[in-house]
Amino acid sequence: MLKKVGVVAVLAALCSVVVATTAWGSAKPRTLAAATGSVKCGKKVTIGVAYPETGPAATLGTPQWDWANFAKSSWNKSHKLKIAFTRGDTVLAGNNPQAVQVAHAFASNGKILAVTGPAGSQEMEDTASVWKKAGIGPVSGSETRVALTRALSGTPRETTPGYFFRTVPNDGQQGDNVATFIHSVLKKKNVRIIDDEEAYSQGLSLQVKNDLQADGVTVTTDHISQQNPDYNSVITAIPSSTQLVYIPWQVPAMAQQFFSQLRANGDKQLVMGSDGTDDPSTFKGAGSYVSGFPVDTSSSALKSFQKAHNGDPETFGLPTYTSVMVNATAINKACKAGHGKTTRTAVRKAVAKVKLSKSVSLLGFPVQFLKGNAGKFQGPGDMGGKSSFGIYQIQKNGAYKRVG
Amino acid sequence: MHHLLTFNIIDQIRSLGWPGAFSLLRNGLVLGSLYALIALGYTMVYGILKLLNFAHGDIYMVGAFIGYGVLVAFGGALSPTIPIVPLIILMFAVSMAGSGFLGVAVERVAYRPLRNGPKIAPLISALGVAFFLESSVQLLTNSAHYLYNGYQLGGKNGNFGPLLNPVFTVDGIPVTVVQTLVILTAIALMGVLVYLVYRTKFGKAMRAVAFDREAAAMMGIDTDRIISMTFFIGSVLAGAAGVMYGLYLGDTYFFLGFLFGLKAFTAAVVGGIGSIPGAMLGGILIGLAESFSTGYVGGQWSELVVFGLLIGFLIVRPTGLLGSHAIQKV
Repeated sequence: MLKKVGVVAVLAALCSVVVATTAWGSAKPRTLAAATGSVKCGKKVTIGVAYPETGPAATLGTPQWDWANFAKSSWNKSHKLKIAFTRGDTVLAGNNPQAVQVAHAFASNGKILAVTGPAGSQEMEDTASVWKKAGIGPVSGSETRVALTRALSGTPRETTPGYFFRTVPNDGQQGDNVATFIHSVLKKKNVRIIDDEEAYSQGLSLQVKNDLQADGVTVTTDHISQQNPDYNSVITAIPSSTQLVYIPWQVPAMAQQFFSQLRANGDKQLVMGSDGTDDPSTFKGAGSYVSGFPVDTSSSALKSFQKAHNGDPETFGLPTYTSVMVNATAINKACKAGHGKTTRTAVRKAVAKVKLSKSVSLLGFPVQFLKGNAGKFQGPGDMGGKSSFGIYQIQKNGAYKRVG
Repeated sequence: MHHLLTFNIIDQIRSLGWPGAFSLLRNGLVLGSLYALIALGYTMVYGILKLLNFAHGDIYMVGAFIGYGVLVAFGGALSPTIPIVPLIILMFAVSMAGSGFLGVAVERVAYRPLRNGPKIAPLISALGVAFFLESSVQLLTNSAHYLYNGYQLGGKNGNFGPLLNPVFTVDGIPVTVVQTLVILTAIALMGVLVYLVYRTKFGKAMRAVAFDREAAAMMGIDTDRIISMTFFIGSVLAGAAGVMYGLYLGDTYFFLGFLFGLKAFTAAVVGGIGSIPGAMLGGILIGLAESFSTGYVGGQWSELVVFGLLIGFLIVRPTGLLGSHAIQKV
């Protein structure tokens, strides 16, 4: 009996080795082939969409997926070459290995010519080498860390130029705008910054803190978990001298609830949110400020999206729409240039040259990627020109009025 | 480094003063009341089945959504179509009933068939149910956050309503109607539970099943019914906690039960898992620990303190504050 078990075990082990070796042997060439191989464009091409579909960050991934689909249907209505998606769930919150798995899956899928996403800056940092090896330059609609596109003192650039693009202005641009507005326009001298312990929030917090302190503003900080909905004790801890509370969070409902709890505690400080909280249908704290894209709210595309989503503009996902448009435009051009055939390399190079008008990007400014450094914070892969954030004040009726 | 932290804490205690301390006490008691109600569900099920029902936090989340559904069905917080007192009572009633029946269904479908299987099986099933409930609600709600806007309930033109009226103030710090409602409702429900468990025939049967299920069955107790009722009562309390959470903190979404559930589980362990008074005490302690650590040390420390307590109790006093060593018959 024991002998039989031993034989079976040895056979099973041998099989495992054979299977593993075959898989290893075939996976590498598949990735390399996918990177360099020529793909027939046909009538439909595939874009990989990497976003948090499940887990606590699904709240952020859902607007991205909704806007990506909106971009797909808009594109497919007006172009001969249709686009299709392959989706990859990166989970995001504290689960970068999942993002790496998605990157490998996309890399070895020869059909995928371009990638929209991933969602988090830390995910891009961890997957940069996989994308580069696969010949893909992902276009993200939500990764805002400055170091992804620009080396700063003590921080090297985290991606190779030409292998990463984003359709969202970075933390440096947003932070600079916000800090200037707080210091020069609102003339506040005491500011409390509360981050939500996520990479997006922490990066932006640090940027605004540094800028404000450089302007001589007193800044105190605190933190709250994105999964903790009770802000009462965080509010109790706010120094009484504080004039403005800056909350660069990603969930508009959290901002609204923070505002309500602050007022319920009898505190009168101004509240200012970031682009993550920019959602007129949810964050309605009268007198508060948010930074956000100068979106044309009268555009028919935005209205049509809202109509299809119960009036919710899901603003956090808007740059993902732009990212899909960038990828679709690049693939279309590369396919035309290759007479019906293209490669990932050709698509990636075409992405770098894409120009979208203001009306197509929906961001409130035209999109074109930088080839070199610009200003204090932008580098190759960032949007150049007028890409930036507006500052909005929330009116009593909940409407957002641009004030900066 | 730790000297710096100590000085910061002392500075913070001084700068917040007595009003700050009272404010943190108030916040901790309200939050602790919610944890206590949820912890009771963990502890009752553990007491009777020795099962860690990890799906319990998600039943609480579903309870919060049911309460929200009732609120919306009657016009929402900003324009309710019926007076707010019957509306709130209705929210509690429907949510408690819905959560109760969900708890019974979970027990019937996911735990009962595994009751005589290996001990690990129901535990894994509990994790499966938790993910099933989370994912179902995620799909149904498209991952969105839903706000109760409880503070505005009964207010005019979107202004704060009567739930934010102060009942009394201490050093200028108000204790509002909604905070009092949470604490008093929790006390009342816990009182009813204690009466039910220690003063009724059903409670006696429940304690008998917890003590020795086989012997209880031989004495003619319908153990399946008692276990179902235990799930029902635990889930009813979670449903009530869900509505109280909604009215007080407001932001309801599919992942809500995860962290709240873990903290309530910690409360049950700290109080002594299996002990009903222990769950109440543990809930209050965890609420206070979270509130004071957030206020005096910083928000990033609150979870470290809460789960540090869990580890500390498991190592130093695994029976918790009010738990007792079970005597193993051999």
